Amino acid sequence: MSSLRILVSFKVTPDYEALREADWLAGAAVGTAEGAAQGVETRYVRRILNCFDESALEIALRLSEARAERGAATGLGALSVGGRETEPYLKTLLALGYDRAARGEAEAALDFAPAVVAALIAEYVRQVDHSDLLLLGCRGGPGDSGTVPFMVAEALGWPCLTQVIEVEPLPDDRVRVACMADDGLLRATLRLPCVLAVGNAVVSQLRVPTLTDRLARRDRRIDIVSGADLGVDIAGELRREPCVLVGLEAIDRARRGVIIGGETPREKARVLFDSHLKSVIEKL
Amino acid sequence: MRFAAILDGASGAAAQQAQALGAFLREGLSGDLAGETLVFYGDDSDRKRLVELAPTRAVRLIKTAARRPDRMAEILTALVRGEQIPLLLFPGGAAGTELATRLACRTNGAVLTDALSVEVGPEHLLCRKNVYSGHMVGRFALTARPWCVTIDASWNDERARTSLGHDVLSDSDETDETGATPFEDLELVDPPATGNLADSRFLVVAGRGAGSRKGVERIAAAAGRMGASFGVTRPVAMNAWAPMDRLIGVSGTRAAPALCIVVGASGAPALYWGIEKAAFIVAIDPDEHAPIVRNADAAVLDDGVAIIEELAQIIAAERGND
Repeated sequence: MSSLRILVSFKVTPDYEALREADWLAGAAVGTAEGAAQGVETRYVRRILNCFDESALEIALRLSEARAERGAATGLGALSVGGRETEPYLKTLLALGYDRAARGEAEAALDFAPAVVAALIAEYVRQVDHSDLLLLGCRGGPGDSGTVPFMVAEALGWPCLTQVIEVEPLPDDRVRVACMADDGLLRATLRLPCVLAVGNAVVSQLRVPTLTDRLARRDRRIDIVSGADLGVDIAGELRREPCVLVGLEAIDRARRGVIIGGETPREKARVLFDSHLKSVIEKL
Repeated sequence: MRFAAILDGASGAAAQQAQALGAFLREGLSGDLAGETLVFYGDDSDRKRLVELAPTRAVRLIKTAARRPDRMAEILTALVRGEQIPLLLFPGGAAGTELATRLACRTNGAVLTDALSVEVGPEHLLCRKNVYSGHMVGRFALTARPWCVTIDASWNDERARTSLGHDVLSDSDETDETGATPFEDLELVDPPATGNLADSRFLVVAGRGAGSRKGVERIAAAAGRMGASFGVTRPVAMNAWAPMDRLIGVSGTRAAPALCIVVGASGAPALYWGIEKAAFIVAIDPDEHAPIVRNADAAVLDDGVAIIEELAQIIAAERGND
């Protein structure tokens, strides 16, 4: 089995659940500048790994371990397009055994610019990392478009599968993949290079490095790569973006919200059943 | 203006996708439009059934190998370039996202996924879609044509279909065995296990407030005693307290039950998307400020496991008395 270079591209996102309702409403009220909506102010909110990307990062580690058991070498790389908030995560990945960690410098807000993000990832793969396998989450971020994996695949001329839930290395330059297609669980073998976009995988949490791991690898550095380094004119690409956010609307989901009275769980359950559920359940 | 709806007849989800496209064409699309359905098929015996499914009167059939999105993208690219079709509508889901994105990339067009609505303007296509994990709706202007749009998974049509009296405009054979398939040993292992969640009339959903795997199991057992289906939120599935195929919400199943009881979940939009079509929602959560409390029809402010177990006892007793 020859050496394999895996790159995982991941995104660090604000924890939307930590945002106050007033901030969402303020986001809807913000005016537009040059036709593009400003988006919601999320800079003060704590950051988390996009859940699908987290799965992809752990799957890559397990792929590397599975190959090592067969005596095959694997180079693991991680890339995140974003600001400095991504660097603690890149440090963690280096401590976990990733060999390469890079931050794609986002010189402008790319929240709703999947084509620009995809161009940066594709050029990094092509010019810098020379990866054989690109793993990333199937969707994520404010725009939640799910298009980036396919845009990267188009730019590289590679096949792509999305909603991937399992990846198994084969004893040659191929991988066996399971993914959730629209009509069932699909299994397929892909020849490398390819793009795999991870979905609701059972492997969903990234392991935590030990202090010893962190200390042993603390000197490893994060590479900073700009659009200019990769020949991507971010400002120009943003001006040419053919799908532009022009406004935001708040969503009113409120229902009656009747609070059920009672002293004990038994009393409350009885009131709930008698006053609301009995008639509904009888009609089921 | 002309549009084309795309239907992948080789997919086992073709019927649902055709229904969703039909609902979208009637209620989600506005503008002066005339359209046709491009139906991809692999097996001659499927043609009649697929024509009947088409959401427009005008139908064009295209024969090609099944599960070859690369070939479908090539065929669509040539078609769009040759005929200058300005708007292409794809079903929601993985296959629609792939085709729409690949087509937009190859034709220098614009792609937008999961559209709630589409309005054709004089210069732009104006689309609305959920953003920020369902916390808001974004309005987008698509400039470069062709506009390649997938529809949101919430589009559905449960009404009985009446035959449109279809006109089959063409039937072309684009089967090309020369290109190497990117996928080997392809097999569809089984249908989605979540089907009963999507069709459930009575659903109980457990959230992180269950506290532990044991808590989730107690809620699942109570759901079983009540005769309800059982689903979970993403944090519960990610903690491996329940299998991923029980997931309700943006990245799982969207249900439309008559009754939905949400136990120990804050009601984040990503979950709420999966239950918002429920006719009656009950929240059980100790936090009176949790969004699910005001977004429910009725709420019990208490420990979720205790309440649901009491409720299961009452419902089981009532049923026993029937």
